Amino acid sequence: MLSPYRVIDLTDERGVLAGQMLADLGADVIQVEPPSGSSGRGVAPFFAEYPDESIYWAAYTRGKRGITCDPADPRGRDVLLRLLETADFLIESSDVGRMAELGLDYATLHERFPGLIYTSISAFGQTGPKADYVGSDLAIWASGTPLLMTGDDDRAPIRVSQPQSWGHASGDAAGGSMLALHARHRSGRGQHVDVSGQVSVAQATLGQVLAYQLGASEPERFAGGVKQRGIGFRVSAEVQNGHIVLNMAPGPAVGHFANHAVQWLVDIGAADPSLLEENFRTYADRVATGDADPEIFPQIQQIMTNEVAKRTKEEMLEISIEYDLLLVPVLTVVDLAESGQLEAREFWREIEDDEGRWVTYPGPPLKIFLDGEQRANNYRPPPMLGQHNDEIYGELGITHEELTALRSDGVI
Amino acid sequence: MTTQHGLPEGDGPLAGVRVLDLSWIVAGPTVGRALADYGATVIRVESPIRVDTARVVGPFHGDLPGVENSGLYGNVNAGKWGLTLSLNVPEAQDIFKRLVQWADIVSESFTAGILARWDLHYPRLRELKPDLIMLSSTLLGQTGPYNQVSGFGSQGAGMSGVQYLTGWPDRAPAGPFGPYTDYPAPRFALTALLAALDHRNRTGEGVFIDQAQAEGTLQLLAPAVMDYLNGGPALVARGNDDPQMCPHGVYPCSPTDGRAESWIAIAVASDEQWRSLAGLIDMEASLSFDERRQQQAEIEDALIAWTAQRSADEVETMLQSKGISAHRLATTEDAANDPQLAHRNHFQRLPHSLHGETVLEGPRYLHSETPGAPARPAPQYGEHNEQILKDVLGLSDTEIEDLAASGALS
Repeated sequence: MLSPYRVIDLTDERGVLAGQMLADLGADVIQVEPPSGSSGRGVAPFFAEYPDESIYWAAYTRGKRGITCDPADPRGRDVLLRLLETADFLIESSDVGRMAELGLDYATLHERFPGLIYTSISAFGQTGPKADYVGSDLAIWASGTPLLMTGDDDRAPIRVSQPQSWGHASGDAAGGSMLALHARHRSGRGQHVDVSGQVSVAQATLGQVLAYQLGASEPERFAGGVKQRGIGFRVSAEVQNGHIVLNMAPGPAVGHFANHAVQWLVDIGAADPSLLEENFRTYADRVATGDADPEIFPQIQQIMTNEVAKRTKEEMLEISIEYDLLLVPVLTVVDLAESGQLEAREFWREIEDDEGRWVTYPGPPLKIFLDGEQRANNYRPPPMLGQHNDEIYGELGITHEELTALRSDGVI
Repeated sequence: MTTQHGLPEGDGPLAGVRVLDLSWIVAGPTVGRALADYGATVIRVESPIRVDTARVVGPFHGDLPGVENSGLYGNVNAGKWGLTLSLNVPEAQDIFKRLVQWADIVSESFTAGILARWDLHYPRLRELKPDLIMLSSTLLGQTGPYNQVSGFGSQGAGMSGVQYLTGWPDRAPAGPFGPYTDYPAPRFALTALLAALDHRNRTGEGVFIDQAQAEGTLQLLAPAVMDYLNGGPALVARGNDDPQMCPHGVYPCSPTDGRAESWIAIAVASDEQWRSLAGLIDMEASLSFDERRQQQAEIEDALIAWTAQRSADEVETMLQSKGISAHRLATTEDAANDPQLAHRNHFQRLPHSLHGETVLEGPRYLHSETPGAPARPAPQYGEHNEQILKDVLGLSDTEIEDLAASGALS
């Protein structure tokens, strides 16, 4: 869908997903790395078979072409500017101020390329009192508020073990860039899109980031659930071979799922059939008016906990589908790799790289149909360092001799 | 018939783009919110019977639960026009089909198969409007053996590995805060919808997007699962440990303002940063990363002894001045007072007919030329029913009365 557009992707590990999102939608995305390779190539984990090669970098450069260029060298800057003449988007995630040092800041480039959409990803934003703060996944997660809400209440708060902050920011960079493209269709002008990781991760709070300003109480961390106004709501339960996530609560929005759970408990003989007469969509209101027994729901919760504990997560998933419960297994990394659902949707995909090696990747995040026909996905393997230098610099009209000189001088 | 003059058009790069938003809770509505911020006319269709869960979870205005009090609902639906429709009523289905012909984009998040049951799924809607752009967003996608699994993003957290990968190695998974798949999924959906709109404008082709929210979330977990799929170890939850940074964690500080607890996040990414930190906590400055990992317990004891005597604010300022990544664990009160968020005007206040004023988050990005902003608070239940039925569809008062009598609106 985005095949008319070219993206010059100057990001490192902090923004590398953004360009891939556009590549997965069809854009021509050119990852530009320094001649020594991006710092992203040093981010863990590394391939078991190729311990010098970053899985992180491979995961987020699939679908792109790759070149090398040293923008600190005047000749490198010059070829980069020639490349930008062909570009619709530039995405960068450098330390704030670094692009200005290179003479590649938004103001400079906007003057030269007024149609260019220039998207910056940083921890806190391009300006402001924390713009120069040293960012990290953990500090960003802390600053946007989700970190304090997460973890066991008797220990320090915790992050997700696979770092998330830069992924959220990169996702916003892709969306913000596309909004700027629609603006350009109307005005002919590019603009600066300033993405802040702190703002991006505030989305990971279910709106709770607003709690104080709304006069609501602060959310508290609560393992396996959420807690507010002193009331914990656990959604995790133990089963024979792991855990499940189970939402079972009375109320107008989800009470019918509790009714379904009661049906299952009655069918297996764990609960008295008289409980089928209780409607948990209206239960809370009737408890409030004294027309329902407040002890009933806690009893059902206890029976449910006991019954799921006797079963495996696979058994519980089948029961969940049959009875329409809000219940799923907590999938492990191994479960995800072996998931029948993901297999049926051909999500994991083996791709052969240009050295003949087969590596398994996640596929694009969406399945897209154009005029009713499924669009082919972009399974281009991640580029090796400088793999497309000849091809892309050749397209710019840079001669073989010039390229040889640039290469021997360490510019590309 | 009354005169059709439509809803007032928004300002911005998406002015004139019409969106019919049938999605609910968070993942789908967040996409419509972003489109509305940039000028699209978004009609949010809600069931008058099955209450949107976002309306009944907090944070609530004044901490008072109530379907018109939810800051979450307000945050993900600001700028939209509200219509209630009971889609199982034939008269409501007719209204819906007419609105599809009005719309450029339809966004929905019913369990796979529900719209087909009403003959309102994409193949049918495409007959009505061949160049329709439609997003169908569910936990696990439209196809596959488990496409019927219904659930919130909390279930999505379980099905995408995030629940499992948030915790301590010696404990049951703690899980992330809330329905995690609702956080990454809207980014992928929004980007694709905007690409689809661009594509349709150029080619005239309609676009259907099948989003599995878990597959979007898996993009952010890709390195962990790829490691295992390519012969490496299967990641397990590791608290705050990081394979390449040490020390790396959350440490207690001296609470201020009568709070029960206070924490600082510290991430030491280089030997240079370690040397700066070592001087403060009286540790050996020359320790390499591997040596720091070996002495992690001792380092963390020294670090905690140092942080616990200081406020998080003081530690943050001191470490940042030395080039070390650190930030206090912000409460939502801290976020309200954060000078950086204030600098970005991230929290925005809007007049509200029930609450006097409401507060919500601004857009997730700052655009230098065409900044987005919510034009009005989220709609109350059925707030714009009459306006939409009259001004968009041209229904007369009598027709609206008949429609109401059919049960389509309530």
